[in-house]
Amino acid sequence: MNSNDIEMVSVTKTFGSNLVVNNIDLAIPTGEFVSILGPSGCGKTTTLNMIAGFAQPSSGEIRIRGKSQRGVPPEKRGIGMVFQNYALFPHMTIAENVGFGLKMKKRPAGETRDAVQNALRRVHLDGFENRYPKELSGGQQQRTALARAIAPEPSLLLLDEPLSNLDLKLREAMRVELKDIQEQLAMTFVYVTHDQDEAMAMSDRIVVMQDGVIAQTGRPAEIYEHPRSSFVADFIGKSNLLPISDIRQIENDWFVSLGTKGLTLSVFIPDGMSGHDARYCCIRPEAVRLAVTDEGIPPLPNRLEGTLSRIVNLGAYFDCFITLKDGTVLKSLVRSTRLPGLAVNQAVFLSIDPDAVQLLSR
Amino acid sequence: MSSIETLSALRQPTHLPVRLSRYFPLAPPLIVLMIAFAIPMGMMIGLSFHDADTGILTLDNYVRFFGDDLMLAGLWRTALMSGLVALCVTVMAYPVAYYLARSTSRWRVVVFALAITPELAGVVLRTYGWLVILEDHGAINNLLTWSGLISEPLPLSKNLIGVVIGLTHVVLPFGILSLLTSIQGIDPNLERAAQILGSSRVSIIRHIILPLSVPGIVSSLLIAFTMAASAYATPALLGGAGFKVIATMVYEQVLFYIDWPFAAVMAVILLVMMLTIAFIGARVEARLHRKLHI
Ligand SMILES: Nc1ncnc2c1ncn2[C@@H]1O[C@H](COP(=O)(O)OP(=O)(O)OP(=O)(O)O)[C@@H](O)[C@H]1O
Ligand SMILES: [Mg+2]
Repeated sequence: MNSNDIEMVSVTKTFGSNLVVNNIDLAIPTGEFVSILGPSGCGKTTTLNMIAGFAQPSSGEIRIRGKSQRGVPPEKRGIGMVFQNYALFPHMTIAENVGFGLKMKKRPAGETRDAVQNALRRVHLDGFENRYPKELSGGQQQRTALARAIAPEPSLLLLDEPLSNLDLKLREAMRVELKDIQEQLAMTFVYVTHDQDEAMAMSDRIVVMQDGVIAQTGRPAEIYEHPRSSFVADFIGKSNLLPISDIRQIENDWFVSLGTKGLTLSVFIPDGMSGHDARYCCIRPEAVRLAVTDEGIPPLPNRLEGTLSRIVNLGAYFDCFITLKDGTVLKSLVRSTRLPGLAVNQAVFLSIDPDAVQLLSR
Repeated sequence: MSSIETLSALRQPTHLPVRLSRYFPLAPPLIVLMIAFAIPMGMMIGLSFHDADTGILTLDNYVRFFGDDLMLAGLWRTALMSGLVALCVTVMAYPVAYYLARSTSRWRVVVFALAITPELAGVVLRTYGWLVILEDHGAINNLLTWSGLISEPLPLSKNLIGVVIGLTHVVLPFGILSLLTSIQGIDPNLERAAQILGSSRVSIIRHIILPLSVPGIVSSLLIAFTMAASAYATPALLGGAGFKVIATMVYEQVLFYIDWPFAAVMAVILLVMMLTIAFIGARVEARLHRKLHI
């Protein structure tokens, strides 16, 4: 019994001499919400198009529900897709749009009507049946596109940056709705985005792509806490990413030197890594503890002093930029209620738990 | 013009010189159009209401036209020919335009060139080409006679068939261009969306492409009809004495009967027929745009 909805085996795609997707192996289990995350041009849409059948892999194989899809046209793959620009049919009403898939499958009219009603209710668009796409707002069009894709109840849904054109508030509301729909209908979602917040918020698993290769796959927390490369660390969440100039062991403790001016941190070497492989260290801003007095920080190793050079007020948090004595700038995330009187050019004290310093080999 | 400009123009109706100066760049083309188009047109319409001999104002010329079976037959032939050309052009142009709109192949440019460049050869040259192919001792009839399939030449020229074939070829590029614009305006993702929802190629064309390109179809029909109705060289060469349309009959009227006012009547009637068709077509197109929500 095969429980993978999608399997990509050594899939490569070239356009002329341009290698766009390079030897991807990916298995997506049934019912999983997978996000493909990566910067613009890294091959996300191309990957999705190959799964949908709009593009053919140059080499390698794609299997859907265990069956090779070589030579299977998109209309025979039994999957749904939400397009980045909605792609609603302008000459059809919302009901006709949503019912289109069922009509193509020659379902009885009554069944189609019910399915359309259901799908529209799910995206909170009941009552809009007789409007035309042009008469809806961007968010409503977006939800229509979603309803159209889920009405035929495909077990597998591909979504290409479906929320990218919405404003922040609507986007956050839609995230919750999407996740609900995916769980209620027990569908497999392959969700393409370049918005890491979106991927973190919804996914069971994130696939980070970089220049056509998979940089890392894992649960959101796993990727956030244990990025495997500086690229992933930088791309997922905010981070202080510092190149390591030297690493040495003194008895049981490891120390890294950062930069050239003698900034040294005590670190822990995780299991399965040799300390000498470490090239970068990544420190999340929330792991950089900030205090205005010497006593405000715990008596740990890794105590640093610096000057607050910039404060960005994020509402509940301050995004603080601290210039250390040697010129290195570190970011620290501070709850605004904890240190309400923080001001630029103030001398501050920092401490970093050695546990929170992630060592990266590339 | 931005809406702010419009508003300020509305608020200050006294600033006439300023507003007029905006239209100065339009003056040269307007003058040329006046001299080359509007004035002759006005003269022609005026002429049609004058008696040929006495020069008195009269409606007699029109009465004569509508009482003359020969004239009415010519009008009917013109309409029939133009309608057939419009249909043939649109049907043939559609697949070409669709290919040109959607293909990413490098042959696209070649097909585009092949579709458009015949226009450069000029109407008379191409029509002679067809005459060589279609006439009684032309290429097709010679081949068929030689192969023993026919004993008498098929009537391919000096009749409706020949003129329609020739005109279809002449007008085809315009049909292609007007359909191309329309089909290019249809988002290719709509086709993909339909496809992933289970549509076959045929039902994508039926449910998505055809309905959304109806305005293009209407404008192709319209352009082809008016071009065919006003064409002279092709009906003259391929139709000859055997197939007279209003355009060739006007020429005859001027050259052989030297009846300018009556020729003007025929021209005016042809003009009215084309304007009527164009008006209906434009209305239909506007309605379709609203109906299709595009
Ligand atoms: N049909 C094509 N022909 C040639 N090159 C292409 C084609 N489609 C995509 N590419 C190239 O492949 C690369 C990846 O494209 P793709 O659309 O998959 O990126 P993406 O990750 O979806 O980016 P974005 O986030 O901007 O949508 C790009 O460099 C693009 O130029
Ligand atoms: Mg993309």
